[in-house]
Amino acid sequence: MFEALFKYSRADYARSELVFSGDWPVWMPYVLAIAAIIGITTLLYYRRGNARWYQLAAIGSLQLGMVALVVWVLLQPTLATDRLREGENTIALVLDSSASMSYGAPESRFQNALQSLSGALQDDAPNLSVRHYELGTSARSVESFVASAPTAEGTSVATSLTGILEEARFSPLAAVVLSSDGADTSGGISSDEMAEIAAFGVPVHTIGVGREVIPEDIELADVTIPDKALPGSTVSARVTVLHDAPASTNVKVYDGDELLQLIPLELASEAGTTTAWIDVELAEAGPHQLNFSVDAVSGESEFRNNTRSTLVNVANQEYRILYFEGEPRWEYKFMRRAVGGDEDISLATLLRVSPNKFYRQGIANPEQLQDGFPASRDELFAYDALIIGSVEAASLSGEQQEIIRDFVSERGGSLLMLAGPNGLGNGGWGQSLIADVLPARLPPTSIDSFHRKKAGVSLTSQGVSNQMLRFDSDTDLNNQAWRELPEIADYQLTGNLKPAAVTLLNAETDVGQIPLLIGQPFGNGNAYILATGGTWRWQMSLPVEDQKHETFWRQLLRALVATAPENVSLVADGGSDSGTIALRAEFRDEAFRPVDDIGVTTIASHENGESFSVLMQPGDEPGVFSGEIEPTISGTWFFEAVAERNGEPVAVSRSSILHDSGQSEFYGFRKNPGLLQRLSEATGGRYFETDDLSALPDLLRYSSSGITETEYRSVWDAPIVFLLLLMLKAGEWLLRRRWSSI
Amino acid sequence: MPRKARKAYIPLAVILSLAMAAAFGQAPAEAPVVKRPVREAPGEFQFVRLAYSANSYGRGGWGRRDQMWRTDWPDAEHHFSRGVDRLTRIEVAESGRILTPLDDEIYDYPWIYAVEVGYWYLNDQEAGRIRDYLLRGGFLMVDDFHGTWEWAAFVESMERVFPDRPIVDIPEGDEAFHVHYDLDHKIQIPSRMFTYSGVTWEKDGYTPHWRGIYDDDGRLMVAINFNMDIGDAWEHADWPDYPENMTALAYRFGINYLIYAMTH
Repeated sequence: MFEALFKYSRADYARSELVFSGDWPVWMPYVLAIAAIIGITTLLYYRRGNARWYQLAAIGSLQLGMVALVVWVLLQPTLATDRLREGENTIALVLDSSASMSYGAPESRFQNALQSLSGALQDDAPNLSVRHYELGTSARSVESFVASAPTAEGTSVATSLTGILEEARFSPLAAVVLSSDGADTSGGISSDEMAEIAAFGVPVHTIGVGREVIPEDIELADVTIPDKALPGSTVSARVTVLHDAPASTNVKVYDGDELLQLIPLELASEAGTTTAWIDVELAEAGPHQLNFSVDAVSGESEFRNNTRSTLVNVANQEYRILYFEGEPRWEYKFMRRAVGGDEDISLATLLRVSPNKFYRQGIANPEQLQDGFPASRDELFAYDALIIGSVEAASLSGEQQEIIRDFVSERGGSLLMLAGPNGLGNGGWGQSLIADVLPARLPPTSIDSFHRKKAGVSLTSQGVSNQMLRFDSDTDLNNQAWRELPEIADYQLTGNLKPAAVTLLNAETDVGQIPLLIGQPFGNGNAYILATGGTWRWQMSLPVEDQKHETFWRQLLRALVATAPENVSLVADGGSDSGTIALRAEFRDEAFRPVDDIGVTTIASHENGESFSVLMQPGDEPGVFSGEIEPTISGTWFFEAVAERNGEPVAVSRSSILHDSGQSEFYGFRKNPGLLQRLSEATGGRYFETDDLSALPDLLRYSSSGITETEYRSVWDAPIVFLLLLMLKAGEWLLRRRWSSI
Repeated sequence: MPRKARKAYIPLAVILSLAMAAAFGQAPAEAPVVKRPVREAPGEFQFVRLAYSANSYGRGGWGRRDQMWRTDWPDAEHHFSRGVDRLTRIEVAESGRILTPLDDEIYDYPWIYAVEVGYWYLNDQEAGRIRDYLLRGGFLMVDDFHGTWEWAAFVESMERVFPDRPIVDIPEGDEAFHVHYDLDHKIQIPSRMFTYSGVTWEKDGYTPHWRGIYDDDGRLMVAINFNMDIGDAWEHADWPDYPENMTALAYRFGINYLIYAMTH
């Protein structure tokens, strides 16, 4: 209808500019308009007869309208439209050839994408030359698309498009047409990448293929697990399953071929994700390849996204903890006893038995701690965690307190403060030099915050999911175990918590609920407060066979040391879903001062025996050396960074990582139209579904990019003009007849 | 002292013992008068005295032998607690407590003291409770029993507690003798009757023995002070005639046992 009246389509009008092609001077239309107004007004005035003013106004308006229309025609209105010049422009057709495009039956996404691109250009296209690209982790130029199975091991839309646009920077690229499922394995398109793509000024039209909702598929979307652990420790893995429909499945964990754990999992929600915690006990030292899997659901055809593998390095080393206690007490004895069987924890204790005597236990040699609490960084930094019991802050010098603060903030050690008659607020720690480190603003010494009264213990919402507070892998059973614990012997008020503090346990006291176990990060390390010295009642009140007291302390102490960095470290990153493995080695001396006067070489060894060395380059930070390898094969890679000084090895750090390239295409493979829509909007293109591509050919024909020419098309002869003329004259005639007075 | 010479004193000692017992008695006949006000404020350490049933040896005969667990009460714990408070950094409750093996509260006090255990009798239930208490981490100090008969009576109940754990001499190098004080020179600590009789032994308990029972990890659970009376030395610390060196040693034994219990 619009086109019948106005001669051209709405889209034509939208993409065009209206110009007047008549040769009249610019002032002529205004003169004509003024002359018409004066002439018509004068004529009507002299021939007004008995006509009333509104009748004269109506007749005059119609006459003026008719004159205006005639002037409009005489001006020769024309549509000026930019369009691609014949034979001088290029269109880039980009076909997503990543492995996720093979999904779908009976026709795969790849086949749909191929069809959609073949229909993008119609026969009346202005003789465009076409370039073909296959998209994966980067773009690959091809002569033409071949209907073979897509095999690219990753998808990076941003990298691919940037490559295409860079290549066409000096050629007339009119537009890019990308047909893809939008499943980008590189993490999507960042705002910087999007801006860089848009800066080329080439519209990117996108065609989305595939389905957003796949009810018959479940996906093990994520497994989060610490990358290092202590031998014999239990680590908790957070398993996230993506699903579009309710279902039942099992989550299994294998250490190599050995089944370690199996838990049933109900996927209850209609769509979304379901998360579960699964505990895995790792007994032996060394790298453990843990294979997680979820059982397939009915009708599922893509099983590769039901599994994930990760590597956990179980450290074969002893962690050192120093426990400084100001008075003999039961908590000291029972805590030492609880962790005594843990071969990975070396607990050295310094107990002030009397004002004139310190009693040492767990020391490695007679010299250890013989002068009391460490007075140097070197001595204290040799420990991974520090526990301070019921002892006054004043018993340590200001320098020692500063060392403790640096121990947490710089060395990255953990600090645990225990309650006691002379601990926490009573001990003046709130006014000490380490007050900033602590997660609470401790009460002043003028307030006796220590109460030798029994209290119950309860998990907080944050504590429920914390591994160090797990007696049972089942959340309900764990909560029940905590509820059934005997009361602790005492508690201490901690004062107000700091903003970053997290409360993991509460004490149920006769004055209400108070924080019992709280922690916060500070610098590179962590600080905790356990506001009781009375967990020993758990050991004395429960049967001999019960291990809750031992479990609590072992897990708590392991959590303290687990986050403490070693003075020599090697981190391998990017093992999965990435083409490279980045290596970062950090070397510090015993006092954790950066060491720079060394050369570092990393030997990379694959599990099959292949090995080579990488010369590490000094990084931006002191003591840091970095390198990179591009592994050619999947599997476990072992790294050994050797620091040498004057040709002699001075330190060695080891690490390992599971490199599993090509697997990422099978995860997150549901269609992601959002990414494609954002891309098109940012570049001035348009997003299409495969079932409605009718507007695409016109968009290409009139693309604003490339080499264009202006097409002029007259619209003065549009049917609407003559129709209006007729209506104006007919209207005047009808009014004159009705009123018979003019 | 030569063996023959010691035997020559036995009749004299028996006579003196009877005379002293008649004069002072071994245990209060009635509920004793508490000499000092008791502060109820709890401490990390509170002296707990084990109240037990008497065996046939205790139930028969002369005197109030069915309450031998009260021997030296309350001065022994009162004096000893103050000594601990003065000589260590342990926070000590001023008053002691008396608990039976079947009191549930016994688990709140990981150090208990039993005196005159030659007169004790633990039935199976009580023995089981003590066994449980010790294996969970508790510590038992037994004291003031002498001679063959009392040893046998002690062992009879102790074997119900631990049928399969031997009673052994505590080695000289054991931490129990060094954790605070180095107790390398041990002597027999006698009862107060020593100030009258001049003899340090009772019955046929001429030689003091420091024995013990250990758990599977080598922790001393039961400190057995046989043929000595550490409790009397605590009780009579303010007695002018009681030898100071013996009182001091008794304190040191008690403190070492306590600190050992709080560290092992």
